Amino acid sequence: MLVSTIRHFKAVNYHARILRTFSSQIKGQSSRSDTSKSLSELRNVYVEFLPDPTVEFRNPIREKLERLDMLARRGQIDIPEFYVGSILAVTASDPHSLGKTNRFVGICIKREGCGLRAKFILRNVIDHQGVEVLYEMYDPALQKVEVLRLEKRLDDKLLYLRDALPEYSTFDPDMEIEVLPEGSRVPVNPLKVILKPKPWLERWERQNLRGVQEFEISERDKRRADKVATPWLKYDLMKNYMNTIPEEEQNEIFSEIHEQLQQLELTRKKLKRKRSFVKPFKLG
Amino acid sequence: MNQADISHLVSRLKIQVNPRLRKFRNPEGPLGRLKKLRKTVTALFKHERIELNYPRAEEARMYAERLISDAIRYGDCHKTTMETADFWIEEKQLIHKLFKVLVPRYEHSQTSYTRMYRAPRPYPGPMHKKAVLELRGNPYPPLLPDFVSNRNLIHNVLLDEAKKEYRSQKYAEIAAKIESAEKGALQIENTASEKSSIEQNASVSEQKP
Repeated sequence: MLVSTIRHFKAVNYHARILRTFSSQIKGQSSRSDTSKSLSELRNVYVEFLPDPTVEFRNPIREKLERLDMLARRGQIDIPEFYVGSILAVTASDPHSLGKTNRFVGICIKREGCGLRAKFILRNVIDHQGVEVLYEMYDPALQKVEVLRLEKRLDDKLLYLRDALPEYSTFDPDMEIEVLPEGSRVPVNPLKVILKPKPWLERWERQNLRGVQEFEISERDKRRADKVATPWLKYDLMKNYMNTIPEEEQNEIFSEIHEQLQQLELTRKKLKRKRSFVKPFKLG
Repeated sequence: MNQADISHLVSRLKIQVNPRLRKFRNPEGPLGRLKKLRKTVTALFKHERIELNYPRAEEARMYAERLISDAIRYGDCHKTTMETADFWIEEKQLIHKLFKVLVPRYEHSQTSYTRMYRAPRPYPGPMHKKAVLELRGNPYPPLLPDFVSNRNLIHNVLLDEAKKEYRSQKYAEIAAKIESAEKGALQIENTASEKSSIEQNASVSEQKP
């Protein structure tokens, strides 16, 4: 019994060593699709693995179970890295027609929620009509998530696209995947959109938007914006502390799930290689 | 449900953090609250030990801890940290104290940077709870009596006696050992001298014939 367990242990060790050497080889090749990402990269890519910092919602056991469920779902469907401002194509099964799917292409204007409740909103203009779809990332109805263009924008939320000219949120549904060169960082698109004249859905002049071109506002609006501005919020150290998870805790969480995420990325790489192979066919 | 904000990383505080912050209602609103607290934080950095009302001490303590932990984490070349320190410390010479005195003092600290005690309230007087807030490692004599080094306390007297007894036992053992060793050495010497004398005699007897 003891001997067999020792042998088993050795075998596991051996496999781990093979994996490690394999990952280090890949690490040497590129940093973009790096299998062993550093913790700082992990926290940018997998934000939804961090729990909600609100004290009354914290529950370590539930959070851990949720992380396991998320990893299990990620084993079933490939959810790639994307950010607000990236252009995505989501294929989801249609709840109203059995056995059929819908594919929606649009720009991600918001990411919210954490754990299994992580969501994102896609926006596009179809037949001169702005359309937004809210998808839950770990919804079993999702069948495929493709990132057509991986990029960031200047703001954390692009909700102002609702009040911008329609050309800024119009994307071709038959768009092809734009592949980033290996080893490059995620590009930031410095595009400044032009807003439509008032009335707006929100008071954009109060939100310090960076991705919006200068617009004219009345003296009254300006005064009001100045009145409700909260420039001291960045000095409220405890409020900021309560809106985030301390780095030590983040490291604990990610070192726990680091290996599984690494495995998932490895399988994704393999699948990608398989997909890119096109069988030659006879002409004529 | 919110997502954790990861744009600005923070270190974990080493004190208990209240789930909700106190409002300190103020005509100036939240900014007035911060202004009130920064007076306390400045005083704490200046005097290193202050006595004040309990709620304000507890609230100011969290902000002081955050300020020191950020200063340790990011150093004085980080723009955001410097701006925050500039906001929180009203007497500007204390900014130097924060980065040049307090940061080296607490750099490798495993515990919190401040201590808070409940202080007795004046009687007769207002019913507010009082507290004493201090920075660790301050130059003042300690507030709590030092029970460890008071020689006259009964457990220390007993410990001293026990130590004395143990030491005398050890000395006795060592003396016994040395004695036995000396005896052994003497015996060996004696036997050796006897042997050598016998050998000499033998050699003499050999030379004789």
